[in-house]
Amino acid sequence: MSLNDKLKDLRASGIDDAKRAERIQELNDLRVNLLGKKGPITKALRGMKDVPVEERPEIGTLANNVKKDIQAAIEEKMEELNRKIVAKKLEEETIDVTLPAQPNKYGTRHILNQTIEDIEEFFIGLGYRVDAGHEVEEDHYNFERLNIPQNHPARDMQDTFYLTDELLMRTQTSAQEGRDMESHDFSKGPLKVISPGVVYRRDDDDATHSHQFHQIEGLVVDKNVSMADLKGTLEALCRHVFGADREIRFRPSYFPFTEPSVEVDVSCFNCGGEGCRICKYTGWIEVLGAGLSHPNVLEMSGIDSTVYSGIAFGLGPERFAMLKYGVNDIRDFYLNDVRFLEQFKGVN
Amino acid sequence: MKISVNWLKEYIPVTHTVEEMANKVSLTGIESSPVHNGEGLDKLVVGHITSIKSHPDSDHLNITTVDVGEDEDIQIVCGAPNVANDQYVIVALHGAHLPEGKRIKRGKIRGQESNGMICGLDEIGVPVKYVPAAYQNGIYVFPENITPGTDALEALGLNDDMVDLDITPNRADTLGMHGAAWEIGATYDEKPKFTKPSIDESKVVDSNDLSVNIENKELVPDFLVRTLKNITVGESPLWMQRRLWNQNIQPVNNVIDAANYVMIEYGQPIQAYDLDKLQDKHITVRNARSGEKFSTELNNEDDEENTNTILNQNDLVVAAGDQILGLAGVAGGIDARVTNETKNIVLESAVYEGSVVRKAAQRHDLRGDASNRFEKGVDNGAVSEALVRATQLVDENAHASEISDELVGIETEAKPTVIKGKISHINHLMGLELSSEEIMNIFDRLGFNAELDNDDVTVTIPTRRWDMSIEADLVEEVIRIYGYENLKGTLPTGMETSGGYSPKREFSNKLRNVLLGQGMNEVINFSLMNKKEAEDFNIIGANYTKLLHPMTEDHEYLRTSLIPGLVNNISYNQARNNNDISIFEQARIFDRTEGLDRPDEIEYIAGAISGNIALDSWNTESKKVDFYDVKGIVEELLSFTNIDANFEYHATNKISNLHPGQTAEIIADGQSIGFVGKLHPDYQNEHNVDEAFVFELNVDTLFGMAKKNVQAKTAPKYPSISRDLAILVNKDIESGSIVKDIFNNGGKYLIDVNIFDVYQGVNIKPNHKSLGYHLVFQNPEDTLTDDTVEKAFDGVKASLVQKFNVEIR
Repeated sequence: MSLNDKLKDLRASGIDDAKRAERIQELNDLRVNLLGKKGPITKALRGMKDVPVEERPEIGTLANNVKKDIQAAIEEKMEELNRKIVAKKLEEETIDVTLPAQPNKYGTRHILNQTIEDIEEFFIGLGYRVDAGHEVEEDHYNFERLNIPQNHPARDMQDTFYLTDELLMRTQTSAQEGRDMESHDFSKGPLKVISPGVVYRRDDDDATHSHQFHQIEGLVVDKNVSMADLKGTLEALCRHVFGADREIRFRPSYFPFTEPSVEVDVSCFNCGGEGCRICKYTGWIEVLGAGLSHPNVLEMSGIDSTVYSGIAFGLGPERFAMLKYGVNDIRDFYLNDVRFLEQFKGVN
Repeated sequence: MKISVNWLKEYIPVTHTVEEMANKVSLTGIESSPVHNGEGLDKLVVGHITSIKSHPDSDHLNITTVDVGEDEDIQIVCGAPNVANDQYVIVALHGAHLPEGKRIKRGKIRGQESNGMICGLDEIGVPVKYVPAAYQNGIYVFPENITPGTDALEALGLNDDMVDLDITPNRADTLGMHGAAWEIGATYDEKPKFTKPSIDESKVVDSNDLSVNIENKELVPDFLVRTLKNITVGESPLWMQRRLWNQNIQPVNNVIDAANYVMIEYGQPIQAYDLDKLQDKHITVRNARSGEKFSTELNNEDDEENTNTILNQNDLVVAAGDQILGLAGVAGGIDARVTNETKNIVLESAVYEGSVVRKAAQRHDLRGDASNRFEKGVDNGAVSEALVRATQLVDENAHASEISDELVGIETEAKPTVIKGKISHINHLMGLELSSEEIMNIFDRLGFNAELDNDDVTVTIPTRRWDMSIEADLVEEVIRIYGYENLKGTLPTGMETSGGYSPKREFSNKLRNVLLGQGMNEVINFSLMNKKEAEDFNIIGANYTKLLHPMTEDHEYLRTSLIPGLVNNISYNQARNNNDISIFEQARIFDRTEGLDRPDEIEYIAGAISGNIALDSWNTESKKVDFYDVKGIVEELLSFTNIDANFEYHATNKISNLHPGQTAEIIADGQSIGFVGKLHPDYQNEHNVDEAFVFELNVDTLFGMAKKNVQAKTAPKYPSISRDLAILVNKDIESGSIVKDIFNNGGKYLIDVNIFDVYQGVNIKPNHKSLGYHLVFQNPEDTLTDDTVEKAFDGVKASLVQKFNVEIR
């Protein structure tokens, strides 16, 4: 048999062997056996010396092609087998994706803090500083500086936990107003501050009262602030918290440290003002108290009330959260039942 | 105060429904709600009893025939003890609806036909305590003849529509009908008209029956009296009685009723005394002597007994010698009360300082209509007129033979307040641009006399509006009458400000976020706790701060630690089968410097875990939380503090309610920053909690240390080399000190030491433990050689052998 034919035979049988292989190992063996240094092709090429010189290049090219073809056949088969292996592996690895996961929990911020921080961030965006103030406060700042002298009837509205004759647990975050006003440098621009925090009242705890609760006080003092600014600010707040369609209304009220004073109602976010159980069929829900800073309050902090004016407002995060999420009992906020806490995941 | 529309109509025209009025008044002045009396009641008429006979089969029932304005009289069986012939009474006809769904039907009572019911006031909706005493235990009998068949509710005023004003303390001017008429009138641009009261001048005499002395002139700006002689005390006319019971005042007699009526009309309380019962004809207003006793007519609970009140020297009394006539502004005494036998009376119209009245009323639990008004203030321009009005009413109803001149104990001139303002400033504060005409018109509606001089406005405020004193008050009046609904919202303009949290708040927010990220739920607990809780974790040795007058022992002390609250939370949850708990709180604790009253408020952050950290599931086994879980939380938290310090965990057995063998104080740069540990088993039992691990860190201290500047370094590109070290060491040696020693001797290329094995027990020398450490060396600038590492490793081993007597394995 000519060398030429021999090589062609080897090619045919090699490709055939490759195609018939069932395992990777067989292909590897085939590669070593056929194409290796001791393989039949190499061996056959030793007979090259008997080939006439002029035919040698042709035989050489043929030999290379035979090697290439066998190699390709092996590789093709190799790929096919690999695909099968992967497919089998994938099938074997298929799992029940409906089985429960490994828990990987993120904690839930307390709903009151979520409510407070939502409001804080709203005001920070409007250029307000956040100043938490003191929980133990002097009578002076909690009452006197808010135009509530000794014997003022308004002191009846909020019975107070005293520590001494002069010190008390603050009954309102408005207590921070005097401190903010007296320390502000008005040459550097207006005073714009909110004071969030815990306040205390001598109340028996029940569904609507808690001896400890939160408030957020807001205060702007500048040369040009007006009732209209107060209304615009609170309109924006109520729309941020209760929805873009909300309207607000002012009703005259009384706080010793503001004049005029108003109660602020927001149009009912549940019925849109039609009247429902939540708004007691009035279409409006009372949400906060506000007003223009009383001139006495400004003057006591050394601010000329004929030049400067202030807007002040105070709101209750508990009330906001109770309204917004339908919490019926204020005590729920302080029991910290994790089932209660975790339902507020991701609301803010 | 409830404003009767019928009464109001005497002063201003009323064309709106009470719903409309309440809404409008709420938006312009005073929070109000509509009241419809007598709703749901019907077929109640006035009847005239034309005959009466005993029921043949009963010893207490009577058979009456009653003229109810129909063609024929009807027969009604009545069991009231006070029923009698010729009475004008309330009849509920067949089919009548009474309160609480009660319905009257004709029927037979012990065999006798009864075509309705003769009613008492309480049966048609008047609370029994406001029913005149004579009719409390029977039917009501009209004091005058009324056409039979007349609507009884109408005749009794019990279908009056009313507007209920829920006043703020500054608007006590509307605690009288006149003030309310001014307020509602201003809302509707109607000026009220009042008739001036007058006294029959022919009866007036210059009397010297009494003398008056006011000891505390600063507390009693006005004190006026008049005496009336030879009156006939009896029942008041119906028109007066019905106005009283509609105000929740019980009609008593025509003197006391007149006094109460004037209080409602003018807002000025009037007191009446029986002149002949005065032990001394010299009246003094003075402080009580400590221990003096006083019996009031006002009884809070039991109408049968008189309350004996022991006075103290802060109480102001009206006295005749030693005889206490009344607690000034609060309550009249029983001693000189006006009864049906009274002939000669004294009427008092006075003003008492509000806080004295308020405190006395509180002290003796005697708050009432009079004290409510004095507390908030009364119009001192109407004191004398109110006395004239009371005198007039008593005279009209009880017919005096002689009326004294006004006897003045003290009188303070009632001066109108004059407020100066500027139209431009008023507009400026409102954020409006009203014309001066519009503003002047509003003052006029309010009955304020205003004068305009260019931009300056001078407003004279009548004494009835004593709440007004400054320009800001004018602003409020103008804007509320103008209508807040017409005000367009704007945002403050002016210089830009940059808002934000304080750096410390940013820091604590970050810490909270790290704990949230570790799956801990945030809780909020009370700052006030009981004594024991305050003591339980007073680890910092705080001086306690407590309330002067706590409401309960449970909320008496300011907290010295956040842990007791967290333990309560675990206990509450685990009692409800929420067994696996991971919670934290960021809040203040209170520590007082010895000798100071005011405590420091220190921000802390604390956490607690209990139950399982992993649950039994299809692919995991449950694992209970342990010390190293909570320590892991703390380490991660501290890694976010930006503090350039080594945090060391020093075992401590000094914290009484923590496990002595599983607790560490955490030290940074020699400073204690908090602790981490397990609750003491006894404490766990006491609080019904499962094994729980807690930590508490001082946020203020951490914030003070958080100064590390982060300077970026390129991540190392050269490979690291590691060495494992296994040692045998006495079991009491802490791993922390070994790691510290390894670092001290490992050279500058030692970057990490991890412990991978701790073993004690079988095959280990008694009292020893085997520890395995994995040391990592790296030179960020060059490839390390084995030689360099080996040298450093040898140094580490040598030091351990020398210092801790370890065996290298």
